[in-house]
Amino acid sequence: MILLWGLLEDSPLALVQAALQRQGAQTFVADQSAVRETILDFTVGADVRGVLQVGSRTCDLSRVTAAYIRPYDSRRLLRGTDAQEGSAAWRHAEALDDGLSLWSELTPALVVNRFEAMAGNSSKPYQALQIRSSGFEVPDTLITTDPAAAEEFWEQHGTVVYKSVSSVRSIVSRLMPEHRDRLADIQWCPTQFQAYVPGTDVRVHVVGNDVFACEILSDADDYRYAAREGAETKLRPYTLPDDCAERCVKLAVATGLLVAGIDLRRTPDECWYCFEVNPSPGFTYYQEGTQHPIDHAIARLLIDAPRLSATHC
Amino acid sequence: MTSRATFLVVASSWDAVSRSFAERHLERGVRLLTPRDLSRVGWNCSFGKMGASSQAVVAGRLLGDREIHGVLTRLSGVNEHELPHIAAGDRTYVAAEMNAFLLAWLTTLPCPVLNRPTPRCLSGRWWRQEEWVRAAGHLGIPILPVHRRVRLTHGRRPRAASQPGGTTVTLIRRRNLGDADPLLITQARHLAQAAGTDFLAVRFAGPSPGSAFVDATPWPDIADDVIGEAVMECLVTARTGRQESQEAA
Repeated sequence: MILLWGLLEDSPLALVQAALQRQGAQTFVADQSAVRETILDFTVGADVRGVLQVGSRTCDLSRVTAAYIRPYDSRRLLRGTDAQEGSAAWRHAEALDDGLSLWSELTPALVVNRFEAMAGNSSKPYQALQIRSSGFEVPDTLITTDPAAAEEFWEQHGTVVYKSVSSVRSIVSRLMPEHRDRLADIQWCPTQFQAYVPGTDVRVHVVGNDVFACEILSDADDYRYAAREGAETKLRPYTLPDDCAERCVKLAVATGLLVAGIDLRRTPDECWYCFEVNPSPGFTYYQEGTQHPIDHAIARLLIDAPRLSATHC
Repeated sequence: MTSRATFLVVASSWDAVSRSFAERHLERGVRLLTPRDLSRVGWNCSFGKMGASSQAVVAGRLLGDREIHGVLTRLSGVNEHELPHIAAGDRTYVAAEMNAFLLAWLTTLPCPVLNRPTPRCLSGRWWRQEEWVRAAGHLGIPILPVHRRVRLTHGRRPRAASQPGGTTVTLIRRRNLGDADPLLITQARHLAQAAGTDFLAVRFAGPSPGSAFVDATPWPDIADDVIGEAVMECLVTARTGRQESQEAA
């Protein structure tokens, strides 16, 4: 049995479910739109046993061999007059998210991906430490509350981008002269600046040992938001050099991720920089642009999952 | 040359125990650092081709990473309630940014950090009771199964019933504080090692060997004089050891 946890209108989840069905796998969907009708009941002892019930459907959790999880905050999905903060439905949604995330940490099933592994993405400089260990370059970076230090870094590197330190509001923007007046605001919160790295973006999806690379042609500072800048983005399949592909797999393994979306940039002198490892990649955009069978590969990974022992011990 | 020692306690502004601990050990160089302090000019953390370095602002003083000699982390994470001085609409974002910054900064500090943060908790290993029980069970430590049931009418998370007469083993590095059965101490050490946590309070159902494991926390009670003093000894000893090895080198 393969458990899918999330919203069926979430395109990666829907594509993986369809791929699993095409391959004849038995699935159980913990659909977050039915949070009120969901019951979770399990016991943790020498092993983890219990059931997950969604409406009239029941899943024996000890029969789950793999799980693909892309949950949203269930509290935010509640609708209706009884859904306000602190209500019984709100507390239930909160407890359900906590319970299922706990189960996903403890189950011996293969989980794409465990929260413990995904958590490293919550801090970009923390993740940069992991990235450097895998052999990729990371841009010169300054995180500061000192406007003078930011000015000095800017002067030293010529072209500089700023972006969030966490995974929240993660949009990359180039520092421009008109931003100078706002630099004083960084005294309130450490702000991240990075030397601009010229080159071509390559998005890599690692699925187990499979590597799917996609070259991105865009003039925008952050191609994901090219439309906001009035820029265009084109995607095309790309073949990574073998050593670079190996580093991508090594990085995914080092971060504990079975599926990862890795953001690379190839400089004109063929140096590879890595900016981020996305632990829950929304791969559908890249799959549509390249026809890479990422959904099929994830489904295969889930189907072939051996019964692994829990990661804690 | 011996410089004046500076030790930091990273804690919530609302953590009276940590504030009291810092005040009690002020003369030994202990200073409190709260999320509010991250809104001061002078913080720097840099890495890349130019190498890695950082600078903190503590009690109005700029401190390079080599000028901090030890850290006690008592903060699980930064939340918006710590930041009344930030515009209300930005608090959640700023809290996430500060948390992410502290995770990286505390991870890279060259001095001893009790406990070194993990991505899920700035104070070390943050496991729910069930995760501790599972880890203990895998180590062969007797456990009591934990049951969790979530349904709309009974949505509150069940709490473990208090178990009077239980025994707590507090570990700091390899040292055990207080009296406990040697087997329980050994089991607690194995659990701390499995969790990668230096400073841990491990609770058992009773004092005798064979007592079941109940729970563990990376926040032992530093209001306790014995535990508080042990923290200081650990940090000071680590600093002295580092100085000696630097001088020998």
